[in-house]
Amino acid sequence: MSRFFERYEAETSRFFDEVISKEGIARPHYDKLLHRFGQFSIDDIKARREIVNIFFRNQGITFTVYGEEEGVERIFPFDLIPRVVAAHEWQAIEKGLVQRITALNEFLYDIYHTQKILKDKIIPPELILGSQHFRREFVGVNPPLGIYIHVTGSDIIRDGDGNYLVLEDNLRTPSGVSYMLQNRQAMKRAFPVLFDKYKIRPIENYPQELLRTLQEISPDSRREPNVVVLTPGIYNSAYFEHSFLARQMGVELTEGKDLVVNNNKVYTRTTRGLERVDVIYRRVDDAYIDPLVFRPDSKLGVAGLVNAYRKGNVTLANAIGTGVADDKVIYSFVPEIIKYYLGEDPILQNVPTWLASNPSHLKYILENLGTLVVKAANESGGYGMLIGPESTIEQQENFAEMIVAHPRNYIAQPTISLSRHPSFFNDTDLWGCHIDLRPYVLYGKTVTIVPGGLTRVALKRGSLVVNSSQGGGSKDTWVVDE
Amino acid sequence: MLSRVAESLFWMSRYFERAENTARFLDVNFNLLLDLNKITHVENPNYWIALILVTSDKERFNNLYGEYSAQSVTDYLVFNKNNPNSIISCIGLARENARSIIESISSEMWEQVNNLYHYLQSVTPHFVHNDPYGFYKEIKNASHLFQGITDNTFSRNEGWDFIQIAKYLERSDNIARLIDVKYHMLLSEAQSQAEIVEGSEDIIQWMAVLKSCSALEAFRKVYLSKIDPDNILRFLILDRTFPRSINFSVCAAEDALWRISGSSRHRYVNNADRLIGKLEAELSYTNIEDIYSKGLHVYLEDLEQRLVKVGEQVHLTYFAYHTPEIESSDIAEALPFTGVAGGRPNWSQAQQHQQQQQQ
Repeated sequence: MSRFFERYEAETSRFFDEVISKEGIARPHYDKLLHRFGQFSIDDIKARREIVNIFFRNQGITFTVYGEEEGVERIFPFDLIPRVVAAHEWQAIEKGLVQRITALNEFLYDIYHTQKILKDKIIPPELILGSQHFRREFVGVNPPLGIYIHVTGSDIIRDGDGNYLVLEDNLRTPSGVSYMLQNRQAMKRAFPVLFDKYKIRPIENYPQELLRTLQEISPDSRREPNVVVLTPGIYNSAYFEHSFLARQMGVELTEGKDLVVNNNKVYTRTTRGLERVDVIYRRVDDAYIDPLVFRPDSKLGVAGLVNAYRKGNVTLANAIGTGVADDKVIYSFVPEIIKYYLGEDPILQNVPTWLASNPSHLKYILENLGTLVVKAANESGGYGMLIGPESTIEQQENFAEMIVAHPRNYIAQPTISLSRHPSFFNDTDLWGCHIDLRPYVLYGKTVTIVPGGLTRVALKRGSLVVNSSQGGGSKDTWVVDE
Repeated sequence: MLSRVAESLFWMSRYFERAENTARFLDVNFNLLLDLNKITHVENPNYWIALILVTSDKERFNNLYGEYSAQSVTDYLVFNKNNPNSIISCIGLARENARSIIESISSEMWEQVNNLYHYLQSVTPHFVHNDPYGFYKEIKNASHLFQGITDNTFSRNEGWDFIQIAKYLERSDNIARLIDVKYHMLLSEAQSQAEIVEGSEDIIQWMAVLKSCSALEAFRKVYLSKIDPDNILRFLILDRTFPRSINFSVCAAEDALWRISGSSRHRYVNNADRLIGKLEAELSYTNIEDIYSKGLHVYLEDLEQRLVKVGEQVHLTYFAYHTPEIESSDIAEALPFTGVAGGRPNWSQAQQHQQQQQQ
């Protein structure tokens, strides 16, 4: 083993380590990586770090931190050690995701049409009809091909035994795919030799696949579809990604003010007049997308867009109202949803989840606040969360009050120690840092998943939170053929 | 091309040009004072008030600073973020516009805007005070580099034409302001000192005007060493070959506008084309006596206003197409122009808060 890995403490008794097995030896698909890193000195690593930093800075790959006098732009933290996923493991993840996304899409179609699953009492109707993300306005609307969730990014974790579990299905507008693509570019520059040694499955075709998916869902197949990306604007923290994807696909990047609806058709305002739009890959939340239907104070949306959509003159990706299946309460029903619509057993398991709205679950939650993780059903980004083992009695009591007052809003899960992966600290030492995986799933005429995804890593020592807003970073993710 | 993209290209280019011109004014003023040091009192606020007059910001300046000095004027025109026309604001706005169309410009263009922006963030007033020549040279070179990169990496499409329109409208406006202010100063000095305006000090000042347009050498090739105000005005206003003359700039803006719309001589398509065509025709058939008979100051002020009108029409024709706010009754507010006589056009900024809230 290399000098870096010699000093690395995997702590395999407490955590699942991605690189080192319980027996203390490297897993086979990491062999070449360890060998290569064994040839590096600290100066070699520092030199490669510099290559990567320059690459990110020159590309303008930054995210914006607010709260200070001006939004400060920072480079998204990136770890030089890639995560390697063996092909046979990836195959299972891929099959599991296809199954899951197909079932969730059937579920959305059902919820917005006959609501069979509610009538059959698989899911209590009040959980759906009372959800703040259920959009009554869309009952009976037929999106092209019957697809609601064209672009998704499920968060997958590994538990103490190395089982892959789905933690969240991000069915609204998952971000981070540009980091996945740029991480790969950066790694190619910094470690060209490693790329020779491994057969790494390419991901560079993601923008083309995304464009193809978006073209496939065009409402009018008779002409070449005009696809645009809709961004909230340059002050949005994911703006780089929006412009990056538009550039890579070769389509217009638009803001709400660039679009205008006339006679239920959507147009871009150009220097030559109006141009018809067929498909909008929108990165603006439902609530802001049309001031006539949702928040009237929205300056980011397009007045009349929802009506144009309902008339079938334009397709939105993702559809409006997908958040209802993205709720952490509904999440707990996904295994039943898969069985109900597909008649199959789920390939990827859920994290066990207790619902505060279920009286027997509620009792269990309140008795075990010290060991569970409690989450608000509709928050994302690691906010609104109680991590039992790290909380004080006072915090637990506060949460208990909130849970009893609004049981529909809370769920609880066991504290899962996410798997760990060696990551550089100061470019000199390796630490075991917790990671997750977000693969990106495209759903047009078929379901497409580019091999890999974004591995997010909690670079703060001991931290379990991988969100970029909370000190997380990322790694390149390699699916390798053995 | 999306109207918003065209608009951002326009303002990116315009603010870059404005920053360069401000650097030129300041640079020349410093050089001028070095020359004048032997003759007159350098701390004389008159030499600094001129720069504020060029940018027509007298009121805002007076609210912020007590006196016209090298320090206060430099601070206001280079560093002050409350001054939308300071170099730091201009480059910030150029970058903001570039950032919003980063997918439409070449990555080299973006890097150049970004580099200059980061350079300006690192510069201190102390640094500028110690090496004004080096600092202003850096700004001018950065602008030249940006234009060169644009010429070499940006397709000759509509977008390029919007970049040209903005650059040349801004440039002609700046030259007009510079001459106007110089004229003002001469006039007031002549009155107070009851002198004729052709002393050696005056020649030095006219040379400074030429220098700030990088025009001294080009001028000498045409008029040899005869530096008199008539020839200088002929050169800066009416010359058709020098890229920093008003006539040249108006012609270049006209070419770009006509390329976009397909207008031609005797046949215009929209109001922007009509106004720029009219202006160009008049400049082409004007001589220096015509200008004097109208009065130089009146002539230049009229010119500036007509340039503003061209900008407004470009906005209405290409950027504001089908924008509901523009069609409302409150046109004055919707236009991104100050509207006040002598004011400089500025970009109206977008809503920040809601954009940040989105996931």
